[in-house]
Amino acid sequence: MSRRLLALACLGALPSLASAESLTVYSAGPGALIETLAADFRAETGIPVNVFQSTTGQVMARLEAEQANPLADVVISASWESAEALHDQGLLHEYRSPLAENVPDALKSDHYVAQGISALALVWNRQSETPPPTDWSGLTDSVYRDQVTMPDPAQSGAAFELVTGLLTALGEEATWSLIEALDDNGMIVPGPNARALNPVLQGARSVVFGAVDYIALGQQAEGESIEVIFPESGTVIAPRPMMILASTQRPEAAERFVDFVLSEQGQARVAERFLMPARSDIPGQRPGLEELTLIEVDSAAMNAQRDTILTRFRDSVNR
Amino acid sequence: MAGLSLRGPRLDGARWAMLATIVALLLLVGLPLNYVVLQAIFPEVTRGSLSAPFSRFLPMLADPELLGLLGNTLRLGVAVVLASAFLAVPLGALRALTRVPGGATWDLLFLIPFMIPPYIAALSWVLTLQPRGYAQQLIGVEASGLLFSFTGIVLVMVLNVFPVVYFAVSRTLMAVGGRYAAAGRVSGAGPWRALWRITLPLSTPGIAASLLLVFALTIEEFGTPATLGAQAGYPVLVTGIHERFADWPIDIPGAAVLSLLLVMLAMAAFYLQHWLVTRRSFVSQSGKPALAERIELGPWRWPVVGFFSLVALISVGVPLLAVLATASTGTLSGGLSWDNLSGRHFEALLANRGGALQALSTSLGLATGAALLTGVLGALVGYLVVRARVRGKGLLDLLSLLPNTLPGIVVAVGLILAWNQSWWPIQVYNTGAMLLLAYACLLLPYPVRYASAAFRQMGENLEAAGRVCGAGFFTTFRRILLPALAPSLLVAMLLVFAIASRELVASLMVAPAGMSTVSTFVFGQFEQGSPGVGMAMSTVAILTTTFLLVALTVLSRKRLPIAG
Repeated sequence: MSRRLLALACLGALPSLASAESLTVYSAGPGALIETLAADFRAETGIPVNVFQSTTGQVMARLEAEQANPLADVVISASWESAEALHDQGLLHEYRSPLAENVPDALKSDHYVAQGISALALVWNRQSETPPPTDWSGLTDSVYRDQVTMPDPAQSGAAFELVTGLLTALGEEATWSLIEALDDNGMIVPGPNARALNPVLQGARSVVFGAVDYIALGQQAEGESIEVIFPESGTVIAPRPMMILASTQRPEAAERFVDFVLSEQGQARVAERFLMPARSDIPGQRPGLEELTLIEVDSAAMNAQRDTILTRFRDSVNR
Repeated sequence: MAGLSLRGPRLDGARWAMLATIVALLLLVGLPLNYVVLQAIFPEVTRGSLSAPFSRFLPMLADPELLGLLGNTLRLGVAVVLASAFLAVPLGALRALTRVPGGATWDLLFLIPFMIPPYIAALSWVLTLQPRGYAQQLIGVEASGLLFSFTGIVLVMVLNVFPVVYFAVSRTLMAVGGRYAAAGRVSGAGPWRALWRITLPLSTPGIAASLLLVFALTIEEFGTPATLGAQAGYPVLVTGIHERFADWPIDIPGAAVLSLLLVMLAMAAFYLQHWLVTRRSFVSQSGKPALAERIELGPWRWPVVGFFSLVALISVGVPLLAVLATASTGTLSGGLSWDNLSGRHFEALLANRGGALQALSTSLGLATGAALLTGVLGALVGYLVVRARVRGKGLLDLLSLLPNTLPGIVVAVGLILAWNQSWWPIQVYNTGAMLLLAYACLLLPYPVRYASAAFRQMGENLEAAGRVCGAGFFTTFRRILLPALAPSLLVAMLLVFAIASRELVASLMVAPAGMSTVSTFVFGQFEQGSPGVGMAMSTVAILTTTFLLVALTVLSRKRLPIAG
């Protein structure tokens, strides 16, 4: 008898089939942002949104595995190059939102547009015994011996952008000798973004070299004793592309969703999560594009040698 | 199926069960596996094209990095098996053969490591042992050198998986029971001689099966090598597979090739175990009531309790306390101090941020479903493999074990490829049923292993007696075999429940849009830099599953079946 109850209980846990009337959005972090956006969108348009929220890698793996019968309508990734790649495969629906007018040209195309922008920064634990760092190269100093972590560029699209930024600003030779000097100074490369930040939060390490800023800013707002420092010599940004799949059955609803994210209300939600809004006319809650020194990266050229760069990086830190 | 011939007069029932089981296994395991193989051979299969076959195979096999990954995986698997046996065989033997004060409480305690997700356990050890970690804050000790090394990875994994061996050893020794040992002692053997010459050898199938499971679990496990391995510089096959899945550009064919290598490793282990347990008969359960006769420990009681307590403290206490500490302190940088004590992470959960409560009920429901499904199937497969005289039953056995060696992510991709086709009459894809399929597929080996080990020890006289009395296959199965099997099968189902309620890797891939489970919720919180909320959810989930298992035991008015 109890077994029947259990069986009923687990049947109850299976959800009903996804409604044909709803929109399906695959989004790479922050989860709270996409959930609020989905709820707001539903309140405004009456269209329910099914959200799959994960990392960029998981979202892309899922798109790849689903190619025989794609389900997502809208995809938001944390890596600009992933949008370029999907576009090259002809998988994206062409749409230029009228609300994208105030999005800088570099952050939109006919097939995708930025939802928000993050930048790469140094994150320093205020309680550590080290002085606050000011620039990337300062971390090779012996006061930072065994005190630095860095996200793995192979696992974090943002950290890869940073490496390409350094290659652009410093040149090849100086970049790799910087990485090698950091490695000599005991830098660890423990994994994707959150895993590089965790040791600094607890104080096992003092500085993250190349953290994604909005995560750290959010934690600072929650009371963690950390400081987000944008290096003097400049940094790189990681815009988060938003796109509609060509396979969508509901292009109009998908376009409305993109419009909604680019609306003042949607962009204000983006700002709440400490990302820079894609629209330059919406105020952010953190340093914006004009306040940062930016390194201009030829990302197409850099992405073409992605494997070479990652191999060189691996060789530099695993000597 | 005309070639099948089963023993016994009532062929129809048995044949029907055989057919149903084969179909279920093919659907559950064969189908996704088939798509993984297709993916490895035809890189373009996700696009519906069979072009360029084998174009990924040779370049990958020629990669020198591969040999390193393979070697690391093997070394890790063997080390964890040896260390688990070293720790858990004495524990299980003591529990089964002597009167350890506390009795069944230890069984319950040692079930908890299984309910702590491996990546959470690894993370708690990092939070505890890294410089300025909890251990240093409390007692001034840090051990990051040990933790981020091969030894560290092995230790953390052993603490996670040793319960498999503990339960198998204690259950099997209890089943083998005092009768044979007593017979030995009547014939003049001392207690040690009886243990070494009779009880332990008769328990070989159960122990070997559990060690094989540990090996399979270890080479398949992702959480611990991913958390500790990067810093320790110890990549394994599974992390290689995940790299190909999670790093842009995604390389599913490459991952499929690596997965097939893992499968081959597991097959080798399978044959080794098979060879061990089929060389001779291990029938020791005749259905006659056995009086469990346990040794009184006398003055040895306290050292033994000390040993049990130490293991419980390290495997359960430390991770749980670290999880609890992270969940109930306001900030990580604030450390362990009274002003930093805060309930805000739990409040965030209660406020249902990110659908925490739905995630919990989804996970519990799916875990229950997976336990029931795999329990029934496991009993059937175990029976058919051990008893039925059917051609190809080895294949059945292999098929039911294989998922244990397939990384969760590969099963998930196989399931997506198989079910996300528009020609299926019922759309299973993008529903919660996908999670149920994934869990049932991944966890089927547990009930199968436990059931076939139990059948191996069960005399055939019982069934023969049933048939003589006129019972058909189903009656015999239900009235005689299942009750005799129940203790082992229940343990396996508890394990399935515990693992399914926290499975991460496949859940991330196949959870339908709009649905989250405990583990995807926790993972999301970590990814987005809210370790506190993630740990609060882990606390709630671990306590809930533990509480449910205890309640189940109390309600059924029996002692935990694992207590014998």
